[in-house]
Amino acid sequence: MHKRFLIGLGMVTSVALGALALTSRDTDAQQPAATLPAALTAADSAALKGPKQPIFFRHDIHAGQLKMECQYCHYTAAVSTEPGIPSMQTCMGCHLAVAGKDSTNRAEIQKLRTAWNEGTPVEWVRIHSVARHVRFPHSQHIKALGPNACASCHGNVARMSQVYQVQNVNNMGFCINCHIERNVTRDCTACHY
Amino acid sequence: MADQQAADDVDRRQFLKVLGVTGVGTAALTGCSTDRVAKLVPYMVQDENQVPGIPTVYASTCTECATGCGVHVITREGRAIKLEGNPEHPVNAGTLCSRGQAGLQALYNPDRIGAPLAKNAAGGFDEITWEDAIARLAARLGQAGNRVAAINGYGPSTFSQLLEGMVGQLGGTTVSWQPFAREAESRANQRTFGRDDLPAYDFGVARYIVSFGADFLETWGPTMEQSRGFAASHGFNDGTMARHVYVGPRMNLTGANADEWLDVAAGSEVFVALLLARAAAEAKGSPLAGDLARWTAAEVSARTGIDAARLTRIANEFAAATPSLAVAGGIAAQHRGAIDLCHAVNLANVAAGNLGQTVNFGLGSTPTAGYGAVQGLFARMERGEVAVAIVHEANPLYAMPKSGNFQASFAKVGFKVSTANVMDETAAASDLILPNLHALERWDDSFSRPGVRSLMQPVMTPVRPGMHTGDVLLKVAQALGGSAAANFAEPSFEARLQAAWTVGATGDFPTFWRTSLARGGVFLPAVSSNPTLVDGAAALDPAAPAFDGDAEFTFLPYPSLMYHDGRGANKPWLLENPDPMTKITWQSWAELHPETARRLDVREGEIIELTSPHGAIRAQVYLFHGIREDTIGMPLGLGHTEYGRYAKDRGVNALDLLGAADGQGYLPYVATKVSVTKTPGYRKVAKTEGNPRQLGRGIIEQMPLVYAAQGMTPEQAYKAAGGETHEINPPREREAIDGWYEAQKEGWKLGNYADDATPKWAMAVDLSRCTGCSACVTACYAENNIPTVGEEQIFKGREMSWMRIERYWEGGEDGAPIEARFAPIMCQHCDNAPCEPVCPVYAAYHTPDGLNGQVYNRCVGTRYCSNNCPFKVRYYNWLKYNESAWPEPLNLQLNPEVTVRARGVMEKCTFCVQRIRGAQHKARLEDRPLKDGEIVPACAQACPSKAMTFGNIKDPEAKVVQWSRDPRGYTMLELTNVRPAVTYLAKVVAQEPVVHAADEHGGH
Repeated sequence: MHKRFLIGLGMVTSVALGALALTSRDTDAQQPAATLPAALTAADSAALKGPKQPIFFRHDIHAGQLKMECQYCHYTAAVSTEPGIPSMQTCMGCHLAVAGKDSTNRAEIQKLRTAWNEGTPVEWVRIHSVARHVRFPHSQHIKALGPNACASCHGNVARMSQVYQVQNVNNMGFCINCHIERNVTRDCTACHY
Repeated sequence: MADQQAADDVDRRQFLKVLGVTGVGTAALTGCSTDRVAKLVPYMVQDENQVPGIPTVYASTCTECATGCGVHVITREGRAIKLEGNPEHPVNAGTLCSRGQAGLQALYNPDRIGAPLAKNAAGGFDEITWEDAIARLAARLGQAGNRVAAINGYGPSTFSQLLEGMVGQLGGTTVSWQPFAREAESRANQRTFGRDDLPAYDFGVARYIVSFGADFLETWGPTMEQSRGFAASHGFNDGTMARHVYVGPRMNLTGANADEWLDVAAGSEVFVALLLARAAAEAKGSPLAGDLARWTAAEVSARTGIDAARLTRIANEFAAATPSLAVAGGIAAQHRGAIDLCHAVNLANVAAGNLGQTVNFGLGSTPTAGYGAVQGLFARMERGEVAVAIVHEANPLYAMPKSGNFQASFAKVGFKVSTANVMDETAAASDLILPNLHALERWDDSFSRPGVRSLMQPVMTPVRPGMHTGDVLLKVAQALGGSAAANFAEPSFEARLQAAWTVGATGDFPTFWRTSLARGGVFLPAVSSNPTLVDGAAALDPAAPAFDGDAEFTFLPYPSLMYHDGRGANKPWLLENPDPMTKITWQSWAELHPETARRLDVREGEIIELTSPHGAIRAQVYLFHGIREDTIGMPLGLGHTEYGRYAKDRGVNALDLLGAADGQGYLPYVATKVSVTKTPGYRKVAKTEGNPRQLGRGIIEQMPLVYAAQGMTPEQAYKAAGGETHEINPPREREAIDGWYEAQKEGWKLGNYADDATPKWAMAVDLSRCTGCSACVTACYAENNIPTVGEEQIFKGREMSWMRIERYWEGGEDGAPIEARFAPIMCQHCDNAPCEPVCPVYAAYHTPDGLNGQVYNRCVGTRYCSNNCPFKVRYYNWLKYNESAWPEPLNLQLNPEVTVRARGVMEKCTFCVQRIRGAQHKARLEDRPLKDGEIVPACAQACPSKAMTFGNIKDPEAKVVQWSRDPRGYTMLELTNVRPAVTYLAKVVAQEPVVHAADEHGGH
């Protein structure tokens, strides 16, 4: 884990530099107004789509603005059936150094740091889940569809201030449509066992 | 339907997924399935070696018996979910018996004690802190002086050295003892060879095996290694096979795997052994021949009542085989003449020149002090000479006969300490309970035989807070101060273990340690050193052993394949897995020969009272052809008065009829005569068999060696033996069904169904190797989240065993010898599966890769499929087993790769489809084709005799193809034209062909 931690720190530095560059031409930012990061505070999250999370974690900042790869945090998605929820240590890899740009960001990051210091993991509200009689191997789908496969089911998370369900992943028709389109297995026991 | 039932409950799979991310998780569910609200709780710091969704495997060592097999612990997200054999371990080479696999249910036992307990004035227990517990023990030890004693059931290990060292430091004594410790063998070896260690027996090269009550496929010795060897020699190989004769009053599973059962009375086995010794000595020109000359077939026949010609034949066969092997020392022949018997068997092996061939001293285990020593310790307790007694990994108050009054002697000990982590009989009688960690939660090692040093490591956070007894002892040493503190100064047992392992470490220690942990230990070849006979050893003149009482029947308590010495009785898998001979689950029973039962006018299920000079017990009758008419058998291991919810008050303890007298250093199990009284009671026998006879259906085929050696098929062998020409289907019918089958195959090509590149999964089972040990059944329960249903449901025939061992009897009537035939029966994955077309909702269907799929979430529970299945391998969830079968924390064992089925759903063997898909996924991620042998279903993985193989029948290189093409191959119930994917290879027997009666087909 230490390795990831260090990589995280290294990345923080580069991201921080990038952020500096961004700040310098803040007004030119080509973000659509609806997802403009600075316009949102934690208090707004209730109005956004998707369940309110204990920390107003901004996928649009991390994956959108900072262009972090999905698999930087969800790093087991390509190797395992389970995508894995990033550990608190993964978050702290960057946020030990990154405290947030403005007060709203800082408040949310402070929640993370408090949780880390207290040793209590943040309990995220789960958004996507498939029924218990279904096996969905993430790794196979990334193998078949490439690293950007995530959006096929999860939508463009890079544009979501708060993550919500775009596709009903628990609807078999959604799975089957794609499997028909790509002419891959529709055998029941591919997923049900 | 399937999914709605659990809507209000914690959704198991979600729960596991959450757990997967954290180890601690909560989940809440509301309403219908799309509205789930669940929490995702991340790790604080994720272990680099844990990838959610991918199993992490740790090497460890099994502690369910004294053998010390190496295990691989499959863990998922920090929970152990399955135990499999460690392929690198020299003892079990990757296989694991039912008891070993059920070690998981000791780990997750719902009755585990979670804190130290101290007995209060009212006789109950109060929870105390570990500090308090250690202080109390140290204080008592400080006062006790040298009046300290320990009973240690844990074998040779660093821990045992620590315990012995500490107790010795205080001036006390440690007695190492486990039941079934093979004391008689050890003493006989002392007498014949002047050394008391036990040799290793090589069944794999023996050409003629004679067992005198030694159940080497069940509980006697390293059964996994012996099963492997037995399959190698006694299985059918290139036209030959070894022969096996079992001598004893009851045919146990080992006896059922013999080519011949010699049903001599208990106590007279020794004469047969002496006859073999004489015959071998004469044939091989051994100098022992003179001393043994008196043991002629006529003499032995007069003493045993066995026909002299038969004895002569067996003796000559034994003498002619090179190498041969005779073994003794099992509980079934542990009467007062057991030492003589083992002595005579030693003579037979020496005379036949087996030492260094099949009998290798120096490679086996060292004996423990045994029953005599522990009995001596209880005598000291009785005299009030023990102030503090520590009982570790042993349950003497259960495993020693009540007639010895050990309970009362134990009560006279000032301060009794038990380290049991479930409340067993000894713990309940103790003053202080210090629950030890389970073997999978602690650092430990085991030196089960020369050269083999196995390691254990904590594979997960303890299920219940406990403390390693090694750590307790080290802390106690510090509290005692003085030289104890100085000599046992390590900060933890882990440190002590590592320090001990630096001796003999090669290279840099951290690397050595890591490699050893990963391998499961250090396995070095040991050198055998075979002794010679002491002078005059051949002049053995055994007397008939004495029995307590003079009643009519010899009482034969025997070790249960599942419960062993009683420690298996709290594990539902072992209770539900039927005894392979009787097919009885969850119960005790008294075995009577049908003729005896007729004479006593008792029927199956009727309760009889057995009375010996030492006690009386009541048990239900089971009629069994495999026992002498003058003998009554009963399995050991049940009848606990404590030991948790599953074991307590279940069945009866056969030891209650035994005397505790020792005299020779072992407990004579077969030394009582019992009388039988019929009572008005009745209790249905909870057995899972249907009809015990094949009724000519040819389900389990068998053929004589002479025909198998000529490459005949079972059908040809049947005809060669004079059986009538037997056509499964007449030609016209054959033509019709073949045509229909081809038309079906055309139909399968429609749509995007199977193409040539799609594999077709198949299995082959060699019945010549299968011994019926049922390890596969337990493996299937563990792998596939199969619920145990309990006695009441078994009465209704509702067991859920996807995989079962079918046992059919042949003979046993009209003077014909009784024979058992075993076959593992699982879903046959028929090409023409009769279950599929009758499913109204397409829940049963055929997959492109040849599986007979069962889609749980489609199933509406009509059970038409089960009605239409000729093999009866489909099992229906009559009740909410998903809620009742795994009381916490047993549910942590559930395999997250397999759906837990809800009420109203049909289920069955899937050929471990999760393993198939897992291997396919892995291969695809690595951009390579699947290799043959990469997919091993749980049953085939566990099988000690490697009787099963699985693979793609379309791959010409696959082992399953070679097996399936064997002339011995056949499919079950061929006349139904269901075309199973499972091919059975007919069992080969060494007997001469018997000419068949025209009306009987099942025997071929």
